[in-house]
Amino acid sequence: MKDLTSATERWEPYDQLLLATGARPFRPPLEGIDSRNIYDVHNLVNGTQLKRALAEQQPRSAVIIGGGYLGLEMAEALHMRGLNVTMIQRSAQVMSTLDPDMGGRLNRALLHHGIDLRVNETVQGFEHKAGLAVAVATDKQTIPADLIILGLGVVPNSQLAKDAGIPLGPKESIKVNAMQQTETANIWAAGDCAQSFHLVSRRPVHIALGTIANKQGRIAGMNLGGRPAAFPGVVGTAITKFMDTECARTGLNEREIEALGLEYAVGMIEAHTLPRYYPGSAPISVKVLAEKSSARLLGVQIVGGPGSAKRIDTAATALHAGFSLEDLLYLDLSYAPPFAGVWDPIVIAARMALKNG
Amino acid sequence: MLIVIGGDAAGMTAASLVRRLQPETGITVFERGPYTSFAA
Repeated sequence: MKDLTSATERWEPYDQLLLATGARPFRPPLEGIDSRNIYDVHNLVNGTQLKRALAEQQPRSAVIIGGGYLGLEMAEALHMRGLNVTMIQRSAQVMSTLDPDMGGRLNRALLHHGIDLRVNETVQGFEHKAGLAVAVATDKQTIPADLIILGLGVVPNSQLAKDAGIPLGPKESIKVNAMQQTETANIWAAGDCAQSFHLVSRRPVHIALGTIANKQGRIAGMNLGGRPAAFPGVVGTAITKFMDTECARTGLNEREIEALGLEYAVGMIEAHTLPRYYPGSAPISVKVLAEKSSARLLGVQIVGGPGSAKRIDTAATALHAGFSLEDLLYLDLSYAPPFAGVWDPIVIAARMALKNG
Repeated sequence: MLIVIGGDAAGMTAASLVRRLQPETGITVFERGPYTSFAA
C-alpha cells in the first residue's frame, strides 16, 4: 500500500480482499495526447477541471474523439454551452453499440444540431504548443481545437490482479464467479474491473457501467457479510441521448449475434410514442432481433424522440425472462393516450420479426 | 479484516453492506482519489 500523501509504503493485512479498482479511459499512445486541454471525462476531479477550464479559458471550439455514450453526452453539453463542436468517429456511424441502421439516426441528429460530424476518420495525433493541443490531426485533415475530449471507451484496472496471478477474462477484466469471487482464495472483485455473465450470449463479457457495478458491489457485500448471494448476470442494457434524440439498446446487436454464429430475424418499425393526435407525440424507431429457429428474443434497439428510449426496459425484462417473440405479443402493457398507443412499439416490432422469421 | 481497494460504486456499496450485516468486522477502504462514491 502506497500512501500518496506521505509517499510512504506499508503492508496491510487482510482476511478478505475486495478489488473494486474500476476502469480507466482508453488513451491511445498518440503524439501530444498528454496536452493539458485534452480531457477524458471520467471522474469528479477531471470533470471539475473541465468545467473550470470552460469558465476560465472560454474555449470556442471543441473536438470530441469517439461517438459513443460519453461522446454524445459531451457533444450535447458543449453544444448547449455555445461551443463549435466537431466529432470524429472511426466508423461510418456513431453509437457503434447500435446496429448501423439505428446508429445512423444519431448521425443525423448530430448534423441537424450543427455538430461537425466527421465519420470514417481516424485520429493520428495532436499538434501542440507549450503543453496545449492546438489541433487534431486525422488521416484526412487537421482540425484546429481549443479543447479536446476523449471518448474512446474504458479498460479495466486489472493490473494489480494480474500481477497477483489472478486469472483475467474478456478484455483483461478480472474473472469472477456469480458470487464475485476471483479464482484466488479470499480475493473478490466487483464493478468496472470485473467481468459479468451475459444472459443472452451465455458468455462472460466486460461491460463497464455503474448499474452493473452497484449490483456486483451489493452481491460481494452480501457474501462478505455472511449472506450468500449470486449475481444472475447482465443483458447489455444501456441508454443515452443527444439533445432531443434518445437511444437505448439491450441484448445483442447484429454484429454480436453474427459472432455467435446464430441465424436471426429482424423486425423494424417506425411508430410514435403516443397516439399521433396527442400533444407530445414523438417518432420512435424500434428494432427487434430474434433467433430464427426458436424465435428467442436476442436484442432490441430504440432510437426516437422524447419518451422513447426508457421503453427499452420492457425488452430488458423480457430478455432476463428468456422470452420468445410469442411471449411478447400479448403482454398486458399499460395504455392510455397520454402515455402510449394501444400497441406498444416493441410489440409491433416483435410481430414484424416473427413475420420475417 | 476486510480490505477494499477502490472507493466508488462497487467498493462503497460492498463496504457499507458489510458494515450493516457485520457491525464488528474491521473494514478499510483505499481510494486513490480525493472522493468516494463519485460516480454512483
